[in-house]
Amino acid sequence: MQNAKDSFYMALRTRLASINPERTILLRGAVRPGILVEEAEAPFSQLPNDVYVLRWLGLGVDMDLASTMVAEQCEILYQTCGTQSFGGLDRGRLLSEMDEEVAAMVQPFHTPKLNYTATPPAAMLTKVFWDEPRFSPIVTQRDRLSRSANVMVYSYQEQGE
Amino acid sequence: MATTWFSAPAPVARRVRGYFAPVNRTAQAPVLFDPSEQGSFSLDTPPAPWISLGWIQEFTRKAGSKTAAVLTGIPAAALEQVRETLEAQVSFEFLSWTKLTMALATGSQHMNLLAPASGASAAADGAQAATAVTLQSGSTAAFIALAATDAAKFTAGSIIALDVDYTGQTGYVGSPVSGAYVRQALTDVDYIRRVTYNVAFVLQANSTGLTLAEPLPGGVPAAGAKLQAVTGFVDREGGSFYQEWSALFVMEGSQGERIFFYYPRLQAMASAQEAALPLDGKDKEGLARIALKGQFLALPVTDPLDGERVVCYRSFLPSTNALV
Repeated sequence: MQNAKDSFYMALRTRLASINPERTILLRGAVRPGILVEEAEAPFSQLPNDVYVLRWLGLGVDMDLASTMVAEQCEILYQTCGTQSFGGLDRGRLLSEMDEEVAAMVQPFHTPKLNYTATPPAAMLTKVFWDEPRFSPIVTQRDRLSRSANVMVYSYQEQGE
Repeated sequence: MATTWFSAPAPVARRVRGYFAPVNRTAQAPVLFDPSEQGSFSLDTPPAPWISLGWIQEFTRKAGSKTAAVLTGIPAAALEQVRETLEAQVSFEFLSWTKLTMALATGSQHMNLLAPASGASAAADGAQAATAVTLQSGSTAAFIALAATDAAKFTAGSIIALDVDYTGQTGYVGSPVSGAYVRQALTDVDYIRRVTYNVAFVLQANSTGLTLAEPLPGGVPAAGAKLQAVTGFVDREGGSFYQEWSALFVMEGSQGERIFFYYPRLQAMASAQEAALPLDGKDKEGLARIALKGQFLALPVTDPLDGERVVCYRSFLPSTNALV
């Protein structure tokens, strides 16, 4: 299951770097594309603005198939306060920009499954695939606008996993 | 040794994509699809002459073939089975309205509404059209060369129909698709341009001619072809003409596997119908998308491999690494 989660994250990260190279985050001393996995970082007191945070939630397994299928629910959280230069008045526009980036990042709706514990990452035999994102309503907290997109990510368990 | 295969479960697909190609009615020749040679084509760029009609929904196949048992003995018991009738139907909904989707989803001929001549009398399928303009040499499938005075009659964003004058012939007319069957000679010189599928959107217009957004379905214009502006499309409930198309439907699975349904000959078997699909599932009375519904009857061909009569070929190309 971890390989599928890693592959999904890396697919989105690679696509984001292409869609909007300027969306970055300084994390643990390194500048990276502005997307991270919450469970793979130190706990946040407050989610960072203007980047995407992947949070893994539900899990389902179908063992009646020729290969076991795993469904993992991924919540993509993002928020913005706008920019200082516009006094935050552009926060709606920036959130729309992030909505569009999410819609672009999830296409195409599949990616090869790789084992990222190997160096270099080892290609596996199947693909990870997912459905269209479901966007939640905007939540407004003072000057902060936030939203999440839910994606159900599917994969087949391979031998050795 | 590392495992190099996996046991693939049933394919998981999001949607179905439809491609159509015109049957040559005069030669009664459907368009072939060979999955062994063409099965890996890019879904956005199908092999010629297949035309992508985009994603479709509510794709349903229904086999109507009937079998019967040959009985023998007392009491009678089945000795063997025979196929009594051969029939299959396909239905689906198009998610866009274009010349081709509208034409496919109607049970009869489909016509272009030619831009009318000034002061022409009204007619339900378009008034007398403005005079067609003649093409100049140097035209291609994507560029129509015109005299400057003729080019000035068109603007970017126009729709055009391009085909030869009607000169009293009978039989199938229209290129590259037979748009109608003329039983008795008509008097409308623009009739072929009314029924032609050789239509296109004008991307740019200048004094030398028109640049088209997509190449003409008929390719380089035929000698004698003329051009008219189109304002829209019209079809009718009734009539006696049945269009015939070769059709290919593709389901691409999550692992890259592909399922093809190839129908060499399909004819529309229902009149024009629409389906209203609410944009908001919770508000059935609100905005709705109007989808074109198509229902088709599959006609048989004789497979040259063994002489069997068939109506559909289903092919499966497994995904890489999948155990078969």
